Amino acid sequence: MNRLRALPTFRIDPARRVAFRYRNRSLHGVAGDTVATALYANGVRIFGRSLKYHRPRGLYSLDGECSNTCMQVDGIPNVRTENTPLREGMQIKEQNVVGSAAFDLMAFMDKLDRLMPAGFYYRSLHKPARLWPVAMRQVRRAAGLGKISPDFRYGGRCDEVYLNAEVCVVGGGAAGMSAALSAAESGLRVILLEARPWLGGCFDYRPGPSQDGEPLYRRSRELLRSVSEHPGIRVFTHSPVVGHYTDNLVTAFQTGEPGDAFDYRYIEIRSRTVVVATGCIERPLLFEHNERPGVMQVGCAQRLARTYGLLPGERAVFSVGHDLGLEAAVDLSDLGLEIACVADLRQDGHDEHLVTQLAERGIEVLRGWVAARAHGARAVRAVTLATLDGTVQKRLDCDLLAASAGLTPVVGPLTLAGAQMDYDAHTGAFLPSELPPGLFTAGRLLGLHDAESIETSGRLAGLQAAAHCGAVDAAAVVELQAQAAALPGPQRGSKLVTAPVKGRKSFVCFDEDTTVKNVRQSIARGFDIPELIKRFSSAGTGPGQGGIPGHNLPLLTAHLQGKPPSSFVSTTIRAPLVPVPVAAYAGSRHDMCKRTPVHDSQKAAGGVFRRMGVWRRARYFSDDFSCREEVRNVRENVGLLDASTLGKFRLHGPDALKALQRIYIGDMSKMTAGKIKYAAMCNDDGCVIDDGVVVKRGENDYYFTTSTARAGATIEWFRYHTRYDGWEFHLVNLTDAFGVINLAGPNARKVLEKVADADVSNEAFPFAAYREFTAGGGAIAVRAMRLGFVGELSFELHVPSSLMQALWGLLEEAGKPFGIRNFGVEAQNVLRMEKGHIILGQESEQRTNLLDLGLGFLWARDKGECKTVGEAALRHAENDPGRLKLVGIRMQDPQRAPKDGALIVDRRIRGYVCTARHSFTLEQAVGLALVEEPLAGIGTRLDIYEDECRGELLKAEVVAVPFYDPDGKRMRM
Amino acid sequence: MTTETKSAIRRVSPVCFAAAPGESEDRDGWQVVTRYENEGEEGPWLVDLSHRPRWDVQDGHVDALRPGGVSVPQEAGQCRLQDGLLINRMNRTQAAVWHLAGATDGMPAEAAYTDVGEATLMLALFGPQTLRICEKLSALDLAGLQRRPPFLVQGPLAHVPCQIVVAQRNSGDFGGGILWTCSRGYGRSMVHAVLDAGREFGLRPAGEQRFTDWLPSLSSD
Repeated sequence: MNRLRALPTFRIDPARRVAFRYRNRSLHGVAGDTVATALYANGVRIFGRSLKYHRPRGLYSLDGECSNTCMQVDGIPNVRTENTPLREGMQIKEQNVVGSAAFDLMAFMDKLDRLMPAGFYYRSLHKPARLWPVAMRQVRRAAGLGKISPDFRYGGRCDEVYLNAEVCVVGGGAAGMSAALSAAESGLRVILLEARPWLGGCFDYRPGPSQDGEPLYRRSRELLRSVSEHPGIRVFTHSPVVGHYTDNLVTAFQTGEPGDAFDYRYIEIRSRTVVVATGCIERPLLFEHNERPGVMQVGCAQRLARTYGLLPGERAVFSVGHDLGLEAAVDLSDLGLEIACVADLRQDGHDEHLVTQLAERGIEVLRGWVAARAHGARAVRAVTLATLDGTVQKRLDCDLLAASAGLTPVVGPLTLAGAQMDYDAHTGAFLPSELPPGLFTAGRLLGLHDAESIETSGRLAGLQAAAHCGAVDAAAVVELQAQAAALPGPQRGSKLVTAPVKGRKSFVCFDEDTTVKNVRQSIARGFDIPELIKRFSSAGTGPGQGGIPGHNLPLLTAHLQGKPPSSFVSTTIRAPLVPVPVAAYAGSRHDMCKRTPVHDSQKAAGGVFRRMGVWRRARYFSDDFSCREEVRNVRENVGLLDASTLGKFRLHGPDALKALQRIYIGDMSKMTAGKIKYAAMCNDDGCVIDDGVVVKRGENDYYFTTSTARAGATIEWFRYHTRYDGWEFHLVNLTDAFGVINLAGPNARKVLEKVADADVSNEAFPFAAYREFTAGGGAIAVRAMRLGFVGELSFELHVPSSLMQALWGLLEEAGKPFGIRNFGVEAQNVLRMEKGHIILGQESEQRTNLLDLGLGFLWARDKGECKTVGEAALRHAENDPGRLKLVGIRMQDPQRAPKDGALIVDRRIRGYVCTARHSFTLEQAVGLALVEEPLAGIGTRLDIYEDECRGELLKAEVVAVPFYDPDGKRMRM
Repeated sequence: MTTETKSAIRRVSPVCFAAAPGESEDRDGWQVVTRYENEGEEGPWLVDLSHRPRWDVQDGHVDALRPGGVSVPQEAGQCRLQDGLLINRMNRTQAAVWHLAGATDGMPAEAAYTDVGEATLMLALFGPQTLRICEKLSALDLAGLQRRPPFLVQGPLAHVPCQIVVAQRNSGDFGGGILWTCSRGYGRSMVHAVLDAGREFGLRPAGEQRFTDWLPSLSSD
């Protein structure tokens, strides 16, 4: 197809060819083309088939307002080709076809529409019930849009950017640009968002005169120059708004240009004010076969020629309801399109100058006429025009029908922001009647048509936004308001709802193949408001996000019931306002996680890492996930565990002890220097939320640990539970300041002795003691604790993080003669389970209290008036017989441990397994479980239900814990 | 343990750049890179300052304290930069003290002070387009017109809770400089995210000297 000669409105470069492939053919477009316009230039008229009836679909809006031109591009289905820039080497495929888009074997579905009335799948195919799964599969197979390969991997680059501004202008047309300039002139930061790849809006391609007589496109470029040169305005083109939320949070996504660092970019804007100048789309005209390829919006036809240099057809008929249609007919006629006739559904109110221009070109204008039917099997071949009452008809041959019932304001960002929308009888549109603070509107959205009015409304909105930010005087706003009031106001809008037809093939929603007839059927079934019709008929639920039916549906609903349009409102608009690639939301792929100071050396030692909360931790050190050797080495020799993820805190200040007494369930006043105290925290329900150890390092100066999971919440927890007391204490989060090495095993002391600059014998450093000494010749300050979480002689060494690798290395070197080796979190899990020590979150859940876990010994009941968190609830709970109790279990089959979380059952669920493993130390399968109290007695036999056990229950018996070293001699050696 | 062992012990920064050090020096156990190869002359730059001392100061009367002889700012969010010492007022009872110039006579003995140099990493990002890089990392308004650098913002950078000080802001090119601290464990993730965000603007790792040269250009409140 030959392009038009170079026009000043072109957004293409005809000299630069871009190659792509379509249906195994090599084709060419030009730089600036979209995929859709490139295909159109190559003679493609049928882009795909419709969802339900497999009707042929073609170019309609150029803005992706419907799924007509959704195709598979480079393996990605449902790409809106009207909005997608053509890139070199793209692979384009049709979708939802059997055969080809032109010859679709499923096209017979179009004849079956009588079998598929509105909501047919809700009403039929359910009886008998066994029919539904079969029918559902067939329905889904027949319908649907594109399919993605399960192996597909998106290879593009996605980015994200978070912007702040005083004014965000949505819409880069004349009004939007004027608003941006007006606001920026007052020194504010302005962001201008435009959905198309360039600014200009409806001025961009129109040759009609602006207020100073210059063509509109030239005026648009003048504004563009001013905007580009203004340092206070940041422009984001090809960036449709996706959402608009409370406090003017605006989200958008941007498609990158060649040379950009991204393909898609998620944009999030916090702005003090927002100006919405999104303009209008065209309201589809409802007539028979109104979506046949060759039927397109007026603006689509004009932009094809003016922007892309493509005459949309050879012989056209226009059926319009506004002066833009007349203007486009004049323009396209001048560009060489033969226009058989212009049917204008308005009886009066035309721009007579345009009517004269049409007459001068020999184009007949029929007032009060409308398209009633498009003819042609796969593309328009002729059109039947009719008077509005349908009494007179005429048929005209054509290959293009430019059709539009009127204009629809694009109000999505307004409704998302909470603007009140009401039917406006003058414009025939749903317009904002009340705006939230900081939100302003401008331009064609308000029904304005006059160029000067549009620009002035933009300037006014920009100034209002600046005034809202306190940057300009209110008097300036009043002055401009007066100027605007003197200009032409909103134009009267078309009220026609549907051509005089039955509506069997008049499509209200192209995406879902919803017809006027379907809407009528919905109303007959009692679904008589747009929201219900939408759900029953699916109108507006497709990829076009309700753009096509959004305005017509409430008008049609009113029309079919003989009610005024003001009786209804449009269906709810929700984000995303336009389809967004999920990859754009994902943004850059950074896994923001924490690593311990010895991450690298653990990795070098074969550590297998897992994400645990915010940390990456070494869970295993071999492919044997039972950790047999790791466990054995700790039990028989010595092992190193990186426990740096533990929460660590300094608590100081004159009221530090009071805070401890409030938060911990034990009596913290009895702590002595050099000793550690194991303590637990409960919530107000007495449920255990954390445990750890506390040491007293000085007067009113404590150091304590928490579990890894609770570290992030600890300071808030202390603050919250002391918020009314006025106590003076201070907390410092030292979690990352200290790395922690757990040196455990019967040879642990022999290793530590070689490294520590202190006596670490059992006499000098007994069990449950705390010591501070140096290691490495005085270079490394160590805070050391004698603990026994894994049930062996253990030293927990807290060391400054920057020096942890050094100490780790020294210990490894010192331990070499003993065969020291790393052990991971899973081995620790097995070791502590054998010892009967709990891990909160594993042996507990939200309802598990201190007593359930057998930790009642930690509870100090005589702390006086300190009001320990959870104490009141515990007093109630200790007399409650219906609670779960933590017990040890031994499996009947020593080789078969149940999965964590497996259920303990009889005729009902009686508890669950918290942790169970095969213990290589004991050569038994053992575990810890929470069971109802009657089942907690030693010797009770338990049945365990595991998922996919096929009814074969596992057998276990309640036994005493600890399973290993019940006297605790090994920890104290 | 021997004296040789002691001298062989090295501190490890939480931050590691995939760049070739040009010059470095041994300082108090830290191997401080003062210059990287291919730092570029235009910027922007990312500099690891994790070895610089940092203190947490908490006291009911924090206003009365004078860390390093410098008074603590009165309002939360305010900063005071004097003689290479930056003091950030965080809330009613708390301030952070960052020794940007490196030198310190040691932490005061009062209980109010805690050495948190090991708890966090500290990075400096400065040069042209710095604030554009920040926009890719945080929704915080670091370029807000209402505040004059230096000022403190507490919030997420690359989704990680941080203390961020906007130290400098140039009009026109979105340039300037920020300093920030966050939990030490995030070192590798943070550097990866920041360098990735800055790639399109030519962001490169730089040695300490680049920061030392830039520091005198910062003004106090």
